[in-house]
Amino acid sequence: MGFMVVMTLNKKLSSLDEFFDIINIHNYKNISFHHHLRNGDKVINRVLSYYEKNEVKNIHLHPSSIFPSYTAIIPLLEKGQITDITTSYMNGPVSDYISSKGLVGQLIMTSHGLRARAILDGEELIDIAYIAVPKVNLKGDGIGSSGQSKCGSLGYAVADSIKAKIVVVITDNLVDEIIENPEINGDNVDYIIEVESIGDNEGIVSGTTKLTTNPIGVRIAHNTAKALASLSVLREGFSYQSGAGGISLKVTDYLKKHMIKNNIKASFFSGGITKYHVEMLEAGLVEKLYDVQCFDLDAIESIYKNEKHFAISASKYANPVNEDRVIKDLDIVILGATEIDVDFNVNVTTDSFNNIIGGSGGHSDVAEEAKVTVIVSPLIKGRIPIIRDRVTTITTPGKDVDIFVTERGLAINPKRTDLIEQLSKTSLTIKPIEVLQKEAYQFTGVPNETNHFGKPIGKVMSRWYTKNDTLFMKVG
Amino acid sequence: MNRSYLFIPGNSPAMVQTLDVFESDAVILDLEDSVDVRDKDAALELIHQFLRRLRPHNIEIYVRLNDLETTLKEEVKRLNNTDINGYVIPKATHHLINEVEALTDKPLIALIESPRSVLNALEIADCKSVIGIILGGEDLSTSLGANRTKEGLELFTARQLVVLAARASNIEAIDTPFTDPIDELGLMQDCQTAKGFGFTGKTAIHPNQIEAINQTFVPSKEAINDALRIVIKAKTATKGAFSLDGKMIDKPIIERAKSLLKLAQNYGLYGGDDLE
Repeated sequence: MGFMVVMTLNKKLSSLDEFFDIINIHNYKNISFHHHLRNGDKVINRVLSYYEKNEVKNIHLHPSSIFPSYTAIIPLLEKGQITDITTSYMNGPVSDYISSKGLVGQLIMTSHGLRARAILDGEELIDIAYIAVPKVNLKGDGIGSSGQSKCGSLGYAVADSIKAKIVVVITDNLVDEIIENPEINGDNVDYIIEVESIGDNEGIVSGTTKLTTNPIGVRIAHNTAKALASLSVLREGFSYQSGAGGISLKVTDYLKKHMIKNNIKASFFSGGITKYHVEMLEAGLVEKLYDVQCFDLDAIESIYKNEKHFAISASKYANPVNEDRVIKDLDIVILGATEIDVDFNVNVTTDSFNNIIGGSGGHSDVAEEAKVTVIVSPLIKGRIPIIRDRVTTITTPGKDVDIFVTERGLAINPKRTDLIEQLSKTSLTIKPIEVLQKEAYQFTGVPNETNHFGKPIGKVMSRWYTKNDTLFMKVG
Repeated sequence: MNRSYLFIPGNSPAMVQTLDVFESDAVILDLEDSVDVRDKDAALELIHQFLRRLRPHNIEIYVRLNDLETTLKEEVKRLNNTDINGYVIPKATHHLINEVEALTDKPLIALIESPRSVLNALEIADCKSVIGIILGGEDLSTSLGANRTKEGLELFTARQLVVLAARASNIEAIDTPFTDPIDELGLMQDCQTAKGFGFTGKTAIHPNQIEAINQTFVPSKEAINDALRIVIKAKTATKGAFSLDGKMIDKPIIERAKSLLKLAQNYGLYGGDDLE
């Protein structure tokens, strides 16, 4: 990486205050942020406190996700300054507030693929994109995998950087050098603001990237791995995605052992990347990693140094109208569930009392496209049976879900007769999902159905701009 | 005969309700060491209710009792009418087993965990209700004043005596648990050691140990093939002893081959076609 004097228009501002002096933010109500700094993000709270102080009204917030540390959103909700939110995932105090009190306008929960699509299509208008970037040069080119606040891939910020009317890059690491393969292209950047710190490292990496040792989780992972090993799709050159949850990672660990034993190599792993995926790349078990977000430090280090570990945008990952999207070639995905119903609809957005506790993220994107979509979950969580007659909220429609794996066996979506045929030859316990539901009820009893008659507060969207479900204010 | 016996704390509803999902051949619901004295009544109630309403039928269930001086009699009285496979008697002595036999007709598994019990293991194994004996390595090591090690050298003689007693009485010889639930390699080595001593199965203190135990206490493919060749040749042999691969094969070896094939048949590893 050579040093250079960047010839550029003067985009650099000395502070956020200077930016707010130049731009009349009352004229730009659609504002966006990415969530790659997770709970370590110091940018969103700082920017929003300015909006609060200046009493900006009718704000439509477009963060890619909302984490518990994004507390500056709360006073803006309380004062009615933020009227609408469009995002792919939220938990913590903001989701608690919205679940209880709703919004002046509405909450729109998208998938990661839809968010990228809608922004690039112009359906979701962004006036100002505030993009925290761990390494930026004077041209505005930026990457996420280097610098004191490195977070790895910046995949969820790319669409915003391309389409927002005003693109503001905020960094604590402004360099005078060429940045190869920038994720944020300086040609799209209007302003660069240098601050002391954009993130707190403690909060940037996720705390969830550990293999489960919980016996039930291990059992589920074992059952899942056994099922995968029996599928025709698990062959040389297969592709795979798993979440960063402990059970999913344990499945990946079992898969690794199976691949070594049977000398199988994968073509790519996609989605959120952890050290377990990186280890398999370095061991030559997988050819490429397509990384839309790094979940731990090992993944961040890898994306910086390993040329087979690619940072990809959310559009390249999962935009359904992007012909080059990675997941169109995905063979197997392992996903979690808060609830699943007898029609295989999955909820990862709310709990059974309408509290918002998550969102699709990439769930509904990859479930729709992967050749085999596997949901893993204990049959009972905290005394609540996971299989319902009807999920509280449909995040991912049952038509896109193929296998549900629990500690007491598997249920296969009846429409997947091919999978039923392949797995019925194994020693795995396969049961209709209604039978698994009854087994759980033996222990828990039949739960009362949630009262859905709270006020509607928003909707969950499919990646095709249709509504998957309505979000209701929680009752009681 | 069971390969694996999984200990499950009797005061943990979450674990009790999932006791049948870990592929353990048998479980031991524990009322003794893993249950705090303040929880013992609640644990007994939980186990009783579970067995009455939700007992799964694809697994053998035993209950480890407390001692005679505390709650053993009350526990037996409460559980005698449930569908359990038997009781595990801690700190077993010949005398204690006889006292429990007077309270119940259910089969008993004796936990051998004192130096005297090890030396009297045959006497205990010979009691009419005893169907198996477990070596309790932790308490025994403490009594011996020996450090408990992963290699288990301190249990060498005790393991031999327990296996000898069990085999002499034709009951199950069940090995002490491996107490590090995350050391997979250590567990595999400990299982192989126990199998080498002649134990028929092993106890587990964590569900994640079951797979290794079950895999160990079944005959290997090579052993099944060797046994099959012996049994097949024995059918056509005209003498009591014959040679196979340069080794002398006689009646005890043929019987051992048949036993191994029977075990393999029980675990679905062999169809049983050549076993008469």
